[in-house]
Amino acid sequence: MNRNDPKTSSLRGSAGACGGFAAAGISRRSILSAGGLGMFGLTLPGLLRAQEAAAEAGSALPVKAKSVIFLFQFGGPSHIDTFDMKPAAPAEIRGPHKPIKSDVPGLPVSEHLPRMAKQMGRIALVRSMHHTMKNHNSAAYYALTGHAPPRDDQRLRDSLSLYPAYGSVVDKLASLESELPTFVSYPHVIRDGSVTPGQRASFLGKAHDPFFISEDPNSKNFKLPELSLPSGLSFERLQRRRELQKLIDTQSRLLEYSSAARGLDDYYKKALAMLSSTRVRDAFDLSREPVAVRERYGRHTYGQGCLLARRLVESGVRFVTVYFDATIGGKSTTSGGWDTHGFDNTRMFPIIEKRHLPITEQTLPTLLDDLDERGLLDDTLVVWMGEFGRTPKINANKSRDHWPQCYSALLAGGGVKGGYVYGASDSTGAYPSRDPVRPDDLAATIFHLMGIDPSTEVYDTQDRPLVIAEGDPITDLIA
Amino acid sequence: MFGCLLAGSGSLLCAAGHSIDFSNDVMAVLSKAGCNQGTCHGNRLGKGGFKLPLRGQDPATDFQTITRGLGGRRVDRVDPGKSLILLKPSAEIPHEGGRRFSAGEVPFQILRDWIEEGLPGPDPGSPKLLRLEASPGGGELEVLVEPAFELRIRVYAEFSDGTRRDVSELAVYESTGAAAAVSSQGVARRVSFGEATILGRYLELQVPVRVAFVPAMEGYEWRGHQEKNFIDKAIFGKLRLLRMNPSEICDDTVFLRRATLDLAGRLPTSTEAREFTFDEGEAKRARKIDELLATAEFADFWALKWGDLLRNEEKVLDRKGVQTFQRWLRDSIARGKPLDVFAREILTARGSTYRNPPANYLRANRDVLERAENTAQVFLGVRLACAKCHNHPFERWTQDDYYGWAALFSRVRYKVYENKRRDGLDKNAFIGEQIVWMARDGSLKDPRDGRDVTPRLLGTDDGIPTKEDDPMEFLAEWVVSPENPFFARSLVNRIWFNLMGTGLVEPDDDFRATNPPSHPGLLERLARELERSAFDLRGLIRLVMNSSTYQLSSIPLPSNEHAETGFARTYPRRLDAEQLVDSLAQVLGTHPVFNGYPRGIRAVQIPGTNAILPRYKKPSSADVFLKLFGKPDRQLTCECERMSQAHPAQVFHLVSGPMLHGMISSGENRLGNLASSGMSDAKMVAELYWSALGRPPAEAEAVSAGALFSSAGAKRAALEDLAWALVNSKEFLLRR
Repeated sequence: MNRNDPKTSSLRGSAGACGGFAAAGISRRSILSAGGLGMFGLTLPGLLRAQEAAAEAGSALPVKAKSVIFLFQFGGPSHIDTFDMKPAAPAEIRGPHKPIKSDVPGLPVSEHLPRMAKQMGRIALVRSMHHTMKNHNSAAYYALTGHAPPRDDQRLRDSLSLYPAYGSVVDKLASLESELPTFVSYPHVIRDGSVTPGQRASFLGKAHDPFFISEDPNSKNFKLPELSLPSGLSFERLQRRRELQKLIDTQSRLLEYSSAARGLDDYYKKALAMLSSTRVRDAFDLSREPVAVRERYGRHTYGQGCLLARRLVESGVRFVTVYFDATIGGKSTTSGGWDTHGFDNTRMFPIIEKRHLPITEQTLPTLLDDLDERGLLDDTLVVWMGEFGRTPKINANKSRDHWPQCYSALLAGGGVKGGYVYGASDSTGAYPSRDPVRPDDLAATIFHLMGIDPSTEVYDTQDRPLVIAEGDPITDLIA
Repeated sequence: MFGCLLAGSGSLLCAAGHSIDFSNDVMAVLSKAGCNQGTCHGNRLGKGGFKLPLRGQDPATDFQTITRGLGGRRVDRVDPGKSLILLKPSAEIPHEGGRRFSAGEVPFQILRDWIEEGLPGPDPGSPKLLRLEASPGGGELEVLVEPAFELRIRVYAEFSDGTRRDVSELAVYESTGAAAAVSSQGVARRVSFGEATILGRYLELQVPVRVAFVPAMEGYEWRGHQEKNFIDKAIFGKLRLLRMNPSEICDDTVFLRRATLDLAGRLPTSTEAREFTFDEGEAKRARKIDELLATAEFADFWALKWGDLLRNEEKVLDRKGVQTFQRWLRDSIARGKPLDVFAREILTARGSTYRNPPANYLRANRDVLERAENTAQVFLGVRLACAKCHNHPFERWTQDDYYGWAALFSRVRYKVYENKRRDGLDKNAFIGEQIVWMARDGSLKDPRDGRDVTPRLLGTDDGIPTKEDDPMEFLAEWVVSPENPFFARSLVNRIWFNLMGTGLVEPDDDFRATNPPSHPGLLERLARELERSAFDLRGLIRLVMNSSTYQLSSIPLPSNEHAETGFARTYPRRLDAEQLVDSLAQVLGTHPVFNGYPRGIRAVQIPGTNAILPRYKKPSSADVFLKLFGKPDRQLTCECERMSQAHPAQVFHLVSGPMLHGMISSGENRLGNLASSGMSDAKMVAELYWSALGRPPAEAEAVSAGALFSSAGAKRAALEDLAWALVNSKEFLLRR
């Protein structure tokens, strides 16, 4: 019995709609060894089970977003130069870019985003995101998990005491019942000096780590190493080996009496099935897309990554995280994230004009259109955000620095309102002036839309009960 | 209101004119109804604008919040029935948390009467809760043999005014085992056969009731084995009570494999396996245990375990520090240093971490609270983390305990002679020599009131060092002293966990009243034995491994197949990451590459976490394999960081992953040697079986292997296929 299963906790004592009490004492290990499922969805239909339990308790949440595509803009995009422009502010704040009208009255966007301007009718824009973490790793961890880091540390160390990525929580609580992974992330492990925490399952266990792809989806030979056999090992030969293995397993009788042995053997069955099946391979096979579609997304790593996200969601994957770039970047027009300080005689505006804004302009509207044309947008939530915004006042390098006190996040599809703005920043974009939103609240919103109660508890390595999101869902932006 | 009865009229009849007492009645209701849980209004942010201190830790705030918050709308003195604290939880008006109780039930009545009585606040004069008792109680295991399937639990409270009251109606009940479910009325019901602990909680106290549901087992008859020592007496005694029999004693091949893995961290070689199997001498198992305990590999393997717990990792200790510390750990174990001396040396080490290796423990734990929490967890088996932020109203450790203990660590200082870290921005990284020293002064501010905390030994009233005492010496003295109830118990439990796979207390570093040991008497006896033997690690291991209990087969009997605990048999578990890699290397006769270490080093000998060195862009396939199979990063002082769970990605690496595939197909490995050895096919097959599984092939296995050799064409391909099958068999992957 899995103690993290809401259904079991509702059996316990007076716990009910609010979920279980902290249960003392059951061995974590015994649970893990009994459960230990996840990556390729080799699990009970978790979502179904959670929802049954919730229904019993009278609080079932509807699933508005079957899937989430989380587009993480590492480095920190400037809110003032994208979706929260301040044309009335002094020149040193408003910057050189002009706003243009979008398809939503009163919701101008940057002149460098004309295609995005026609998409705002689909967007729920949060303009009052805020927190206090000034360093990329701490802030990005906050953005990727919804939990405030213990320290504002430029090299915040990843450890099992930190919270898991959203997708890992989804895999834990609502994993798919299919050979597909529940949570896929790619194509970078993001790092700023050290690996940014919040990209994996942490204390939930490696079984809930993302199915991570490090290959470049834009490369010619893009394929998954997990789904390819090394040369010299044909599938027929592998089957021969498997037959021998089965014979030895019969001899030891372990499969008859050991749940650990049976658990392992299930994974062998699944692994061999995957190696011979085409369904999973197809989901990841970008060469099956028409050239025109590939071109539309852009022949670059991020563009093809967004296309892959659509393919994965189409085949049922529940949570896809696409990282814009491996690094915070900011000094180059050909690589790197959004961290444009103007260091080393670089300048922010020419860089984002050449790299970040065009890529955004190319991919995001394409993805939204594509999802919509295929009827996927209604139950796919797209989230576009970075770890913070950038300083309202332009610095001595004619660029902007880190600004967590106020920034924007975009949501679309998956049960959110379109053409809707939640919260507002003040006249200079420095602080929220209305309805401030913390990453905790955004996290609660994402879980809520996925039909997962944000107050669900999971257990850390110390067996402490921790709620998956401490914030409140932003109900106003839910359609 | 104690002794109140719910009368037919629906009002409460209270004895001796007792009125409602906020602290003893209303607070109990808030817990009983679950209002102050972490997922409800006890949440850090509250729920729906109503926030209560978590789990009733602060009655004064509860009182304020309920009576004054929300403009006083939560309570309506004029028309008590209109109070939100009645309407919401009884779901008369919409309540996100659903119906918590109904009008007419005791909690409702208490709240209504309290409002009617004019909202009396917390009264410093109210009787204080002193003790909680349960019936059935006394800490004994309550055994329910089928058809019995339920147990009513009563909870009694003793107060400072001398009264003893039945508080069963107001107590909260929880089951902490899968075998039982408990109703809000305190009735524990069988869900499955097995054991569970039911906790009855009232106000800030909690009392455990241990219960076991036992199948009838028609015709059950005890069939045990020789009781080799007090371990068997305790384990068998309980099995008998649970109407179970222990499995058979395992055969020699299984014993040898198990013992070699547990002590040396590797498989027996084919030669060792053959020799042991055909050894006709007396007491060969006891002799083998002694032999293994004397190997260098024993020190390697057990130093690895301590390296995990003591956070021996490169980022903070640097490469040199990690190697120095590991060598010290290894030597301490090799030389049989008594564990109390070992612990004391670690806690009191000062000076250069290069020259005095145990000082690396304090170097690794750089923050005062980290030092305090981790020391309690490693050396006392106590998890304190919860008490940092809140009083756990029904666990023993309070925030006062936490900060008092932490204050003992507040004078530790570091003199950083040099720091050649490559990344100047990484404040967590240190490369270079450091001195750990003790400042004359230094205190810890209590974050709650900003005042200096008085240092105090955990769980004591008077364990306070004088001004002259060195607090770490003072603390270390206490940690290893016989007056400390935790040290020896936590050590024997760790050792037991490492040999048996499950602690007597489980998780093995989580001792608390509400997580009782499965065999309390045995735990005590082992602890006393450890003290008696002057904290001799090998002595305790010898005692456990020579017991019949340790040597039980993993094959179940009808009487014990339903139970996953109780030590009626051995429960198979996956090899640790390092054991697995080293076993593969041994069987296949080729060494994988670990970046940064010489070829040929065994995985258990890697001193640190095998962090990727700057000159290696990518980890080697063996580095990846170790991580994937759970080698910990050593950032937590917890065995739980070594994640032992199986998951699909591991199986992909076993099926066709680069490390194993490379080792099997390598030009220079045991398979190549065998192929060119001129041995007969049958001999080669036998040799591989003895190497991988420590046994000869059974007839069916020999036949099918023979067929493989005649059909596969190339000998080499046949050997590769057989080797793959052997190392992918469950018999290989699991320690059984």
